[in-house]
Amino acid sequence: MEQLIRKIKGMVHLKAYRKQRDDLYFITVEKAQLEMILSHLKKNEGFTHLAFLQAVDFIEDSRFQLTYMLYNYETGVNLGVLVLIDRDKPEMNSIHKLWAHGWQYQRELHELYGIDFPGSPRVHESFVLEGWEEMPPMRRDFDTLEYSERTFFQRPGRSTNDPKEYMKEKMYKNYAASPRIRRDDE
Amino acid sequence: MSNLSKSKYRGFEADRSKYPVEEEGKPVIDLESHKFTKIWQGPQHPGVTGNMAVELIINGDEIVDAKAHMGYLHRSFEKLMERRRYIQCFPIVCRICVPEPDTNEYCVSAAMEDLAGITVPEKAMWLRTLNLEMSRVGSFLMWIGGQAGSLGMGAISQWTVGMRDYWLDLFEEMTGGRVYHMYMIPGGVRKNLPDGFKDRARRLIVKTRRLMQDIDNTFLSNAIIKSRLQGLGVISPEMVDEYGIVGPNARASGREYDIRMNNPYVCYDNLDIKMITATEGDAYARAQVRYRELNQSLDLVAQILDRIPEEGAIQAEMPNLLHWKIPQGQTYVKAESTRGEHGFYMVSDGSEKPRRVFARGASYTHAISVLEKLAVNVSVSDLAGLMVSLHTCPPEIER
Amino acid sequence: MKLKDVLSPLRVWERAAKKPMTIKDPINDRPGATNYRGFHKNDFSKCIGCGTCEEICQNAAIDLVPVEGQETVEGDSGLRPMIDYGRCCWCALCVDVCPTGALTMSNDYTWIADNPEDYRFVPGADKTKWQESEKGYTRSPDIQIIDYDRVDMQELEPEERDKSFIEIVKGYNKEQAIKEAERCLECGLCIATCPAHMDIPGYIAAIRDDDIDNALRILYETNPMPEICGRICTHKCETACALHNNGDPLAIRWLKRYIVDQVPADKYSEILGTDHLEDEVLNRKVAIIGAGPAGLSAAYYLAIMGYKTKVYEALPGPGGMARYGIPEYRLPYDQIDKDINYIRSLGVEIQFNTRVGTDITLEELHSSYDAVFAGTGLHLGRSTRVPGADNKRVYFATDLLREVTLGNEIDVAKNIVVIGGGNVAMDITRTLARLQNQKYGKVQILTTCLETEDIMPADVEEIVEAREEKAVIDPGWGPKEIEIRDGKVYGLHVVKCLSVFDENGRFSPKFDEDQKKFFKADMVVESIGQGMDLSYLSEGIKSDLKFSPRGRIEVDDSFQSSLQWLFVGGDIIQGPDVIHGIANGYIAAKGIDTYLNAE
Repeated sequence: MEQLIRKIKGMVHLKAYRKQRDDLYFITVEKAQLEMILSHLKKNEGFTHLAFLQAVDFIEDSRFQLTYMLYNYETGVNLGVLVLIDRDKPEMNSIHKLWAHGWQYQRELHELYGIDFPGSPRVHESFVLEGWEEMPPMRRDFDTLEYSERTFFQRPGRSTNDPKEYMKEKMYKNYAASPRIRRDDE
Repeated sequence: MSNLSKSKYRGFEADRSKYPVEEEGKPVIDLESHKFTKIWQGPQHPGVTGNMAVELIINGDEIVDAKAHMGYLHRSFEKLMERRRYIQCFPIVCRICVPEPDTNEYCVSAAMEDLAGITVPEKAMWLRTLNLEMSRVGSFLMWIGGQAGSLGMGAISQWTVGMRDYWLDLFEEMTGGRVYHMYMIPGGVRKNLPDGFKDRARRLIVKTRRLMQDIDNTFLSNAIIKSRLQGLGVISPEMVDEYGIVGPNARASGREYDIRMNNPYVCYDNLDIKMITATEGDAYARAQVRYRELNQSLDLVAQILDRIPEEGAIQAEMPNLLHWKIPQGQTYVKAESTRGEHGFYMVSDGSEKPRRVFARGASYTHAISVLEKLAVNVSVSDLAGLMVSLHTCPPEIER
Repeated sequence: MKLKDVLSPLRVWERAAKKPMTIKDPINDRPGATNYRGFHKNDFSKCIGCGTCEEICQNAAIDLVPVEGQETVEGDSGLRPMIDYGRCCWCALCVDVCPTGALTMSNDYTWIADNPEDYRFVPGADKTKWQESEKGYTRSPDIQIIDYDRVDMQELEPEERDKSFIEIVKGYNKEQAIKEAERCLECGLCIATCPAHMDIPGYIAAIRDDDIDNALRILYETNPMPEICGRICTHKCETACALHNNGDPLAIRWLKRYIVDQVPADKYSEILGTDHLEDEVLNRKVAIIGAGPAGLSAAYYLAIMGYKTKVYEALPGPGGMARYGIPEYRLPYDQIDKDINYIRSLGVEIQFNTRVGTDITLEELHSSYDAVFAGTGLHLGRSTRVPGADNKRVYFATDLLREVTLGNEIDVAKNIVVIGGGNVAMDITRTLARLQNQKYGKVQILTTCLETEDIMPADVEEIVEAREEKAVIDPGWGPKEIEIRDGKVYGLHVVKCLSVFDENGRFSPKFDEDQKKFFKADMVVESIGQGMDLSYLSEGIKSDLKFSPRGRIEVDDSFQSSLQWLFVGGDIIQGPDVIHGIANGYIAAKGIDTYLNAE
């Protein structure tokens, strides 16, 4: 595996490399070099199985991370190829020509994250959310609780008590609030 | 591949000369021509697996084009987990697959343990192995019932679903729940085995083996079943990689890929286990592979029962799980479910809640990409059998 | 097609003769397994309404509601979980997390009701057919969702400490403190029990987030002496801790100490926002009698509210009983000074060696200040008044402890007996043991008290540590006589004490005169309680003040006496302990503010 990493380093700009377990590695590559490295890994290095393609929203860095999880049947090693793409204009090259089920993940990512894969078949068709009008729901800034409270209704008659507040009310309600520092202008 | 030549019309490589012209690999269908009919199989239909629908274009009773539709039970477990503490995740993930929830429980707990660097005690490992293998037995039993039922043999469904209930009784004793066991918590498992459990489990294995004999006689060695399944939905070895096919579907096409052996987890490297494969790649081969794997699973349960240590901790030393923070990182943990590679990809940002959890359902590609391809040129009456033979499970696709 | 494949399926008929798998009457013939996660039960005798079940429920199915007959008392909010079966998924996390083990599940799984509202119920309060059921899911003792085991505190070994007055408890380091802070359930039951109602879960959460500055700010909201409290507080909060029911309570006191130990003294004013505190914002002056915890607490809050305060202290150093009553190995003087120097830095002036009543009169204070707060404490020893107690080699513990702090030499005898079972008795025992060790190289001290060991008022760790330092503790004896031979103490005669309190809980010891013991000693120390010295009150003031029948000055909720300008607090009103003093001073400061603004 170390040998392979060295080889990849010679081919593309390797932004990061991490060994998680003996059978799981992650490499981060440049967006433009992804297709090249994937097809090399598939055709020459035995990483023929694409286990999944998924996205992670790093909203604080304004980036989406795409994870292409490959598997090599011979060595039994999983290799996650990571790419960071711009969150404001999320677009990525399609891999549907490398793997016949690639379009399916890309369609899902378009729906759930709003990432576009130009050229990928049926990529703009809805996947699980027919008639969805909100922002792509798996983005971090989509507030599920706010959505469900807006869309559905709570069972009436429910109310709860915070033990801390309740005990204060019952036992030491008149206990003075902490004084603030008094300044000249008060 | 020998059966392919016997096939009259089945398989996508059959003669397509009298079917519509294709453009960019898709048939051009003019519904106005009255040569085609569009029908929906599902979402409410006894012939689909779970809640999904297949939009079919048929010519006579032959399918010319198929489109799988998902989204009838999307609950966004992945998003729910992003808003919950780590400990609150395991009661959610089991719902990703009803017949076989334990793989999800195992994967999500194992992913957390991998990220947090926790070593699970040996006894807990064995109990997890037992739980996982029992759930495979339960799921396979349900599958046999489904495959037989989809071909019109309802009696077998009743036997196997009845037998599965006895296995659920064991789960109930062991975990406190019949369907959703919620047994594997981060760090270990929740309960020790109750008294007398092993004996009851051994008796049930004997009972199940008797049923397996009956199933062999009536189902696998059945001329009608054979004639309907042989040559149906052939997956060629080349397709396996191309479509990311896993599990018995891949093994029936000769791909030796079983995570229990390729990347052993829990205690599988301590068990006597053999790869089961076939070469035909059709629905009957898949049925045979599953039947043999079920027998092997019974055997494995017996092996595990003999090897569970009597003494030992069932949970690693854990902090207060209410405030459990997992260090930054990402991992992918997978396990062999009855449908194949079932994995969880987890990303932690160092907080009390996961940044991202992705459940790679084993049949993710089977039910859409593969089904849409295999359904073409199949008779409408065989579609149900085809879907079950792929062992598709919609909830793990839309999660 | 093989003939076998045609005939073999016919064997399907064999099954027709077999026993069916179905059960005739499943509800009765098929109870849930012993371990089944069925409907919820709640044992109200154990439930403390901490709400951890609500906290962990990932379906938001649990509400905490008041239940008739469940009182809100210290350590029990009186609330009980109500479960909405429209949301519950029976994962039993609430059962596994329940710190008391009150919440469990029965193996019952059938329930028919006409009204959907019935399925929202309070287990234990609403009558259910399964409440008494013995089977069902309970937390396995082999697993923990929450952490019941306290992070061990590093202490000096007995050999390292028994000759010196170096602080014994080493304090948590960052890793230990965060680990301990992670155990907190954030239920907040402790807050009601703390006399100062500190936001304990708040500062513990700040420790978890490693935000020490914020933690310090939370501490100073109601407690300006965290270094002192972090070491010697009586930590009643820890008895109310929800974890205490099944494991070790959270080390709240040590965590408080951890916070203040992290912050250097010169950073306080910046963190707490007092770095440019204007002097005399209000041009009002308050005099405070006694630089103990109560007085300084009042002075601190008055200072940040803009009052000019001056403290009159009879002794040469500040801290009151915290300095002159508590030995240095428990509370080092530099830590007292850290707290007090910060208070002084806010403009609080302390005039030492000035006894109100002799050096300056209360009337004089009244005429030159707008209000006066008196926190004069309990500095007089109480005597057993047994024969021989008037000998000069019979001492009061408070006097000796004060002498040690003042640096005056004590004529330590070779063989000492201490009478008393409280923390002060332990303090004097361990102090004298150290002095004996220094002087003679060996310890020969025995402590006896009325109470048996299980009801001794001293903290358990104090007793354990005293024994580790080779003091003998022999509880359960009542002093009868101090035998004097040739004018010198010869020893203490005791008789067996059968019970200390009567059935009404009043102090009324009963003895068995036939069971006797004699402890040989050439020095006896009495430590059976302290009294107040109110000699600074002139007759005129005394006649205007209202006293309770037991001789205490009567005060209202804000510690205002019947003389409106005089506020009284601390040990002479409540306690005795440091945290009550601090809380009294805090409330009195707010009371003085209200009183002066109302004029």
